[in-house]
Amino acid sequence: MSAHSQSIASPAVRVRRAPSLRRWTEREAVFSWLMVTPPVLFLVALVGYPFCYGILLSLQDRPVARPGQFVGLANFVADWHDPVFWQVAQNTLVYTFAATILKAVGGLGLALVMNQEFRFKNLTRALMLLPFIVPTVLSTISWMWILDPAFSVINWFLIHTGIANPGPSWLGNPTLAMGSLIVVNTWRGLPFYAITLLAGLQTISPELYEAATIDGASALARFRYVTLPLLKPVIFIVTMFSVIFTFADFQLVYVLTRGGPANATHLFATYAFDVAMGGGQLGMGASIALAMLPPLALIIIAMSIYMKPAKS
Amino acid sequence: MANIVRAASRRDVLKIGSLAGAGAMLGAPSGRAAPKALTLVHENSFIPAYDAYFKNTLAPAYEKAAGIKVNYELISVGSLQTRVTTVAETGAGPDITLIEFNWPYLFDEKLVDVSDIADEIGKQSGGWHDAIKEAVIVNGKWKAIPFGNIGQLMNWRTDWFAEQGYKTFPDTWDELLEAGTKLKKAGHPFGFELGHGFGDNHGWLYPLLWSYGAREVEPDGKTVAIDADETARAVDFCRKFFQQTMFEDVLGWTDPSNNKAFLAEQISCTNNAESILYVAMKDFPDIGKVMSQSLNPQGPKGRFHILNPWSHSIFTHTPDPQAAKDFLRWLMDPKQAGGWYDVAVSYYAPYLHAYDDAPFWQKEPRNLPYRESLATSHLPGWPAPISRAQSESVAKYVVVDMFAKACAGKSTKDVIADANAQLKQIYKSG
Repeated sequence: MSAHSQSIASPAVRVRRAPSLRRWTEREAVFSWLMVTPPVLFLVALVGYPFCYGILLSLQDRPVARPGQFVGLANFVADWHDPVFWQVAQNTLVYTFAATILKAVGGLGLALVMNQEFRFKNLTRALMLLPFIVPTVLSTISWMWILDPAFSVINWFLIHTGIANPGPSWLGNPTLAMGSLIVVNTWRGLPFYAITLLAGLQTISPELYEAATIDGASALARFRYVTLPLLKPVIFIVTMFSVIFTFADFQLVYVLTRGGPANATHLFATYAFDVAMGGGQLGMGASIALAMLPPLALIIIAMSIYMKPAKS
Repeated sequence: MANIVRAASRRDVLKIGSLAGAGAMLGAPSGRAAPKALTLVHENSFIPAYDAYFKNTLAPAYEKAAGIKVNYELISVGSLQTRVTTVAETGAGPDITLIEFNWPYLFDEKLVDVSDIADEIGKQSGGWHDAIKEAVIVNGKWKAIPFGNIGQLMNWRTDWFAEQGYKTFPDTWDELLEAGTKLKKAGHPFGFELGHGFGDNHGWLYPLLWSYGAREVEPDGKTVAIDADETARAVDFCRKFFQQTMFEDVLGWTDPSNNKAFLAEQISCTNNAESILYVAMKDFPDIGKVMSQSLNPQGPKGRFHILNPWSHSIFTHTPDPQAAKDFLRWLMDPKQAGGWYDVAVSYYAPYLHAYDDAPFWQKEPRNLPYRESLATSHLPGWPAPISRAQSESVAKYVVVDMFAKACAGKSTKDVIADANAQLKQIYKSG
């Protein structure tokens, strides 16, 4: 700093230099880097470092509270031979696909309805967001009571209307337990879909619909040839988010079943947590968590190829 | 610590605290710069008065006696292991922790050797129960000071059992099956957790396995022994027990489920800690009057219970391990520990023989079997010594799922083969 000030001989020079510095920072190449650097550093610290550390852990035999030993791919080989791992992989895929499709179809329907003019439209839109706003753990506890064998309101209804006695075991039967989790996940994720798609719908110019109507397009045709193509980029983004969040879901399963009955609802995240935290095998837990990456990447790549809007 | 310093009690420590040498050794307030605060992390107790007693009575008492403030950090039930893992991994945070199951082994290298004070406390309070030693002694060193056992016993409805002609609790699993069959027909099924909870499933399934003479691993801790006729008999029994006395929901139960079902009068018998009786006496006195607790039934090879220890360990990262030891030493003095046990009305069965006939056992005589059960209590994985593999097996619910899958309809041969394959993989890496 002192060397710098010495080199500046007169105030006149300082006046001339300051704008040049400003001009330098205002050059697009420099300015863009200046803007990008803080978020990049942020991402490296909070995402990049844990991710790389996760990879490092997965290559080690790393018991909790003890130094690790490099074992190469031994953890992944052990996962490969672990029958529970494959069950978990299957569960995760079923859970993700079923919940995402339900959310996409339901969310689109909901968005189309919300895009109409009706009384109390704003209030309804606000209420629709509730499942998304309530903290997951809290809403899941409500679901725990709804699905609880002893106090289930659904079973109470079924029994009192004489439809079934005893009512179904929502969390005790392996198939029903998975079904229940998919329904709860859909309930929670639907508003996210609906509100994002609604925003997309509102950007579509009414003139396009008018033109289509004049050309004699039916409501279905307007949806098929106007709404859907223009909504595609939004559908793609929201589906990608949804797939990622559903694939890596943890809270729902952890509160409702903890992976039971007999691993029927264990997902990658819950299984990795149990092995790493409960079993104290950080390396193996990391390898299970990382195993999520290839299938998730494949899904995302496939989706982006399929759903990429055609450049015209 | 090479020097084992014995002091009769904290009061004596304080008396001689002014002697510089002894003071430095014992961590008395004077003579050296003692820390101003210690933090003890604990899991929320089912008995609210227990946590309140520490915060309102014990912590202020220690601050008055030693000038050290003790912070009491509470963690929700079931989340303590995550907290301990974080603390051990980062080497920062609380100085002392509540420690459960076989964690003294898991976190061994991050825990201070407390053999010296364990020895003192044992001598002062009539000696330690043998049962606890398998959970806290790692490679010959005490890594935790045991506090109490949260035993799991048979909780049953005396009125409904009496209706079927049972004045006392059935003594064997077969007799219990017979009673349960009758009770289910009368509209009072049993409910034993077979899902992925953290305690009530292991709490009865390991004792069931052992009582048929079966085990996961031999005492050498290496040879997997689950593929045996004894296991097959235990699995066959469990399937019959489930089909004839229970209903499908139990396969998806987590730990609060059986408490709720029992207090909603939906089940006539379950395996649980003292919490059901405690809540019943407080909030559902009509149920409290017609329930009791009994030892687990015996099988062909004896009667067993699960060991569920609550102990205290000191992290090696604490700046002054001696101060933490002094605190634990003070805490386990009958003056302090006695009051803490007392306020929880025997929920935590002491591992010290001095309390075998303590007055709190008489406050609720239905809890007496918890004291009796200590002698036949073991950690999951027994008779193998505590190990990492044991933790992995519990975390993967190998034994629980073996039984649960059989109950859901899979063949005995298949479920044992699954468990055998999993255990072989786990114990190879253990």
